[in-house]
Amino acid sequence: MALRMWASSTANALKLSSSVSKSHLSPPFSISRCFSSVLEGLKYANSHEWVKHEGSVATIGISDHAQGHLGEVVFVELPEEKSSVSKEKSFGAVESVKATSEIISPISGEVIEVNTKLTDSPGLINSSPYEDGWMIKVKPSSPAELESLMDPKAYTKFCEEEDAAH
Amino acid sequence: MRSPRILEVWKLGTVNYLKSLKLQEKLVSERKDHRIPDTLLSLQHPPTYTLGKRRTDHNLLIPESELTKIGAELHYTQRGGDITFHGPHQAILYPIISLRSIGIGARNYVETLERSMIEFALIYGVKARAGHKCETGVWVGDRKIGAIGVRISSGVTSHGLAFNIDPDLKYFEHIVPCGIADKEVTSLRRETETLLPSEEVIHEQLVSCLAKAFSYDDVVWKEDPSLILDTHEDNE
Repeated sequence: MALRMWASSTANALKLSSSVSKSHLSPPFSISRCFSSVLEGLKYANSHEWVKHEGSVATIGISDHAQGHLGEVVFVELPEEKSSVSKEKSFGAVESVKATSEIISPISGEVIEVNTKLTDSPGLINSSPYEDGWMIKVKPSSPAELESLMDPKAYTKFCEEEDAAH
Repeated sequence: MRSPRILEVWKLGTVNYLKSLKLQEKLVSERKDHRIPDTLLSLQHPPTYTLGKRRTDHNLLIPESELTKIGAELHYTQRGGDITFHGPHQAILYPIISLRSIGIGARNYVETLERSMIEFALIYGVKARAGHKCETGVWVGDRKIGAIGVRISSGVTSHGLAFNIDPDLKYFEHIVPCGIADKEVTSLRRETETLLPSEEVIHEQLVSCLAKAFSYDDVVWKEDPSLILDTHEDNE
C-alpha cells in the first residue's frame, strides 16, 4: 500500500516535469510500478514497440520501458522508404552498451517515412521514445493486425510481469 | 516455485570464426523455438579481427591485404561494439540465452556479463571494474582486459565476451581497440602474479562465474564438441 502511494506521488511529480519539458504533449501517461511511462492512445507489442494509428498512417517506435532496458542508444539502423515491413519480423536495429537489438514491426505495411533525425541523434529514442524518437511511419496493409496488439493497461501489466520474472 | 534454470555449456576448443557464427545462428533459431535450453559456447578463435554492425573499419590500422601476412582473418558482424581482436589464449564465451525468460534487457545483460568477468578476475586477485559510460567492457585501471559485443534478436543473445588470459597483445597494435584510442589492452597474465592453471581450468572458472552471475541453478557440461560442430556441417 505504501509503495502504491509513493508511486502515485512520484507519478504526479513526473507528470509535472513532463509537462514542463514537453509542453505540446497533452495525452496522459500512466506510470506502472516498474516506473516507466506507458502512453495512452497507443497500441503495444510484446516486443515493446508501440504503434500510433492515425487514419491511413501508423507511426512506430519503442516504448519507454524498452529504451530504459536498452541503455543509451548510440546507433540506429532503419529501413528505406518504400520498403515493406511484416508483423513480428525485424525492420531495423539499435545499438546501446555494445549490444545490437533488433526492432520488430508490430504490423505489416509499406514504409512511407523514416525518422532521419535518428542518424545524428540516436539518443532521441531515450529522451523522447513516444515523440521525437519515433522510428518509421507505415501504411498498414492489414489494419486488423492492430486488434491483436495490447492496449496501454494490458501493456503496463505485461511489463510488470516481465520485470517480476527477473 | 519456478522450474530450475539450466545452462548447457559446450567446450569447443579453438573454432574458426565463421564456423562459430554459423553455429550461433543455428542455436539462436533453436533457442527462439524453445528446442534447446539456454546455451553457452566456451571457445577460442585463431587470430581474427572483427567489426560490429557500425562497420568502423577506420579503426583497422593496417590494410586488409596485410592481414594474411600476419596470419589473421577479418570479419564483419551484426554484433554491437567496435573493432576487436580474438586469438589464442583469449577466453571467449558466447551465451545463447533468452533474455525474455529472465525478464532483463540489453543493459542489464551487458552489466551482468561485465560482473561475470570482474568476479572471475578476482579469483586471481585482479581488481577489475566495469567501463565508464560509453566504455562497456572490463578494465584494470585504464587497461582493458575484457571486451563485450552482443547481438540480441527477438530477445535471444549471441556473440558475447572475450577475456584476455595471455594473448599476443601485439595483435592489438594493428587496431584502435573498441574504438578507444590512448588506452592500453592488458591480460590476466600481465595483471596477476598468481601462477595460472591450465586454460581448461581457467575457462571453467570463467563459465562458473557467468553461471553464478545469471543465477543458473544448474550447469550441464557438454564435453564432445563434435556433437554440435560436425553435425552442423553435415546439415549444410
